[in-house]
Amino acid sequence: MGATLRNRSIISIVVVAVFALPLVIFAQTAPHAGPAKTRTVSAAPDFSGVWFMDEYHRNILPKEDPPFQPWAEALFKKRNFENEHREPDSGPDPTERCIPPGIPRTMLQPFPWEIVQARDRVIMIFEYQSLIRQIFMDGRGHPRDLEPTYMGHAIGKFEGNTLVIDTVGFNDKTWLDPMGLPHSDAMHVIEHIRRVDHDTLVDEYTIDDPKAYTKSWTTKRIFKLKPDWQIQEYVCSENNNVK
Amino acid sequence: MAMKNKLVIAFIVVMCGLVVSRPLFAHHSSAAYDMEHPVNMKGVVTNMEWTNPHVFIFLDVKDDSGSVEEWRVEGNSPNMLVRTGWKREMIKAGDQLLVNGAPAKNGSKVMRLVTLTLANGQKYDGQGFK
Repeated sequence: MGATLRNRSIISIVVVAVFALPLVIFAQTAPHAGPAKTRTVSAAPDFSGVWFMDEYHRNILPKEDPPFQPWAEALFKKRNFENEHREPDSGPDPTERCIPPGIPRTMLQPFPWEIVQARDRVIMIFEYQSLIRQIFMDGRGHPRDLEPTYMGHAIGKFEGNTLVIDTVGFNDKTWLDPMGLPHSDAMHVIEHIRRVDHDTLVDEYTIDDPKAYTKSWTTKRIFKLKPDWQIQEYVCSENNNVK
Repeated sequence: MAMKNKLVIAFIVVMCGLVVSRPLFAHHSSAAYDMEHPVNMKGVVTNMEWTNPHVFIFLDVKDDSGSVEEWRVEGNSPNMLVRTGWKREMIKAGDQLLVNGAPAKNGSKVMRLVTLTLANGQKYDGQGFK
């Protein structure tokens, strides 16, 4: 008799559990179910990890000069001359005085950077100068009145397996490469990033800057996954000898 | 024959220097340094600054006349150097080092490090990556 009562109790618990469980699951998931974009992001390709350039080139376009506007060519030649006639503890390149390199150059420095994919953003954490870049993935556009910055304002979306990033709102204080390739505040950078295999990321950069160049031009870089590396602190002004 | 061997070795050393002396530092242009004519120097460490953007090793080097000159030897960022096996503790004041690097074109006693050799023969890349 005692056993029967115990059995009934067990059956009651099981019945309550079976009916209540979906409610519990619903209660847990409902606040997070949210709009469809949450699921879209989770299905996006995973580019997260620490990446490092495959080859270093001092020229962003290794084999040719881009189609300069006259002022940009003259400025490039002036910077080249100053670079070649520098002393060890001086130099014209803004990065040598710990000024951020801007985009895309920050990605092309011989230091690793990490991609972190958040729900509504892709975050790039750069070891060089401990910089960060955030790419908004929530469908917003660029603000109308952008305050010019070193990293610009970046919005992105996945097209299939390709991350397309559109960045505007740059100041004109950075060089596109260590050779001194100039750009203006009208620069528009479009990137197509693909993970061609587990260890390899390819980024195609299109530079559209009608003030500085007569046509847009494109360059490509390969980055390798560094699973054992971590982004370290880098304080540029700690012991900078360049005046 | 011995002379010929020496010439062959010298040629190989120079070519190796040229191959590895590509300007790879991120922070400073190498234009101020004679990357095409790297030199070897032995010296005694007086100080090391394990700092960003670059590591500096200060070396007392005896010249041909026996007088001592202080050289500043500049390596890449410690961040990149540790990824190729460098450790801060491996260089201390009083250590004897062999350095291969590019001297400044203007004659000042500063050098861009290409290869570092410790007293125990262990070699390290001064640029910190390949």
